Amino acid sequence: MVQNNLVIPIAIVIAGALIAGAVFFTGGSASSAGANQLAPQIPAGDLEAMTPVSASDHIRGNPNASVKVVEYSDTECPFCKRFHETMKQVVESNKDVAWVYRQFPLDQLHKKARKEAVASECANELGGNDAFWKYLDRIFAITPANDGLDPAELPKIAQFVGLDVAKFNECLASTKFDKHIEDEVQNAAATGGNGTPWSIVVTKSGKKYPLSGAQPYESVKQLIDIALKEE
Amino acid sequence: MARAFRRVFTRPAYLALAVVTSIIVFALATWLPNLGLIARIALSPGISWSEKFALPLSLLGSITTNFTPLSALYTIVIAILFGMYLAMTVYYLRRKIVRTWHSTWTGVLGIGSGALGVGCAACGSFLFTGTLALVGASGALALLPLGGSEFGILGALLLALSVYLTARQITNPAVCATNSITN
Repeated sequence: MVQNNLVIPIAIVIAGALIAGAVFFTGGSASSAGANQLAPQIPAGDLEAMTPVSASDHIRGNPNASVKVVEYSDTECPFCKRFHETMKQVVESNKDVAWVYRQFPLDQLHKKARKEAVASECANELGGNDAFWKYLDRIFAITPANDGLDPAELPKIAQFVGLDVAKFNECLASTKFDKHIEDEVQNAAATGGNGTPWSIVVTKSGKKYPLSGAQPYESVKQLIDIALKEE
Repeated sequence: MARAFRRVFTRPAYLALAVVTSIIVFALATWLPNLGLIARIALSPGISWSEKFALPLSLLGSITTNFTPLSALYTIVIAILFGMYLAMTVYYLRRKIVRTWHSTWTGVLGIGSGALGVGCAACGSFLFTGTLALVGASGALALLPLGGSEFGILGALLLALSVYLTARQITNPAVCATNSITN
């Protein structure tokens, strides 16, 4: 019975040790993490709060497609990296689907993501929609995720894509896209996004379906097929 | 412990209960971020029944795309252990075997911790982050070296402990000892 009496204290000690170990090994580094960007004070989302797709969006595939997949994403999220490949496959295999990319850097989890979001917007400003997508593809291709991308790579990616690196660096140092990115973060949260990737599938009639996480290609395709059948 | 497993799981009803429970827990874990979507599809009159079933079925595949190898592993382990725990609990409740509070509490803690661990499977998603966001403490996840998987591992360990304690009670039920005072 002595052994039985120790069960709960042991369980508590294990839990405490895990948390204490976590704090010890990270050196309390999260103290500098922001606490106001993720899911800001909106308990439940409303898909209708989604900012309508417009010409100013980053669109891949047919811009006049019947179905649009609006993805809110974070370049340092490993699941977004995986889902990026899935979405490439989706738009390549279906000409009646458009992929709309919006920024949703999760500052608490990935401190480097917001700067990378700015970098991709700079690519868009300097080289247009194609440059944006090439830049984004390259970031997702080379980042190990979870803040693993060296910020020094950002100008190198700009060069790889064929952008003017001096202008790119100037843009990257500016704050011109801060509001735009924050607006998209707020919009993601307003629609119910509390993690990434967060996607909204929009039918021709405007009906919306939420899709959370890096779901398999088969699931995305099935949802798109359902959306395509709707008038 | 093997004797307890034989006693419980050689009976088809208990084996079925464990398997079905494990499947349900596994399905819920993979569907968790998309329960709203599943409900929307299920309630849409214009969608065929085959599509209503096909989508949730395909979402089970997210165990390979929306989970890390570690979180996928403990999610499966938690689902299996939960099924076993429930079947064994029903077995001894039906036989009115006296239950000690240890296995009950480790089971409850294991289920709770396991649920939080599943909640940390993706970037900022699901239960744990959602709960933390409500109290403005989502950044606390960054404190954890495994990003919250600690809770899943702890949940699996506690459930394993509960299964072990329950098995011991089945083979060696708690009784009032007649000679508990010795020497």
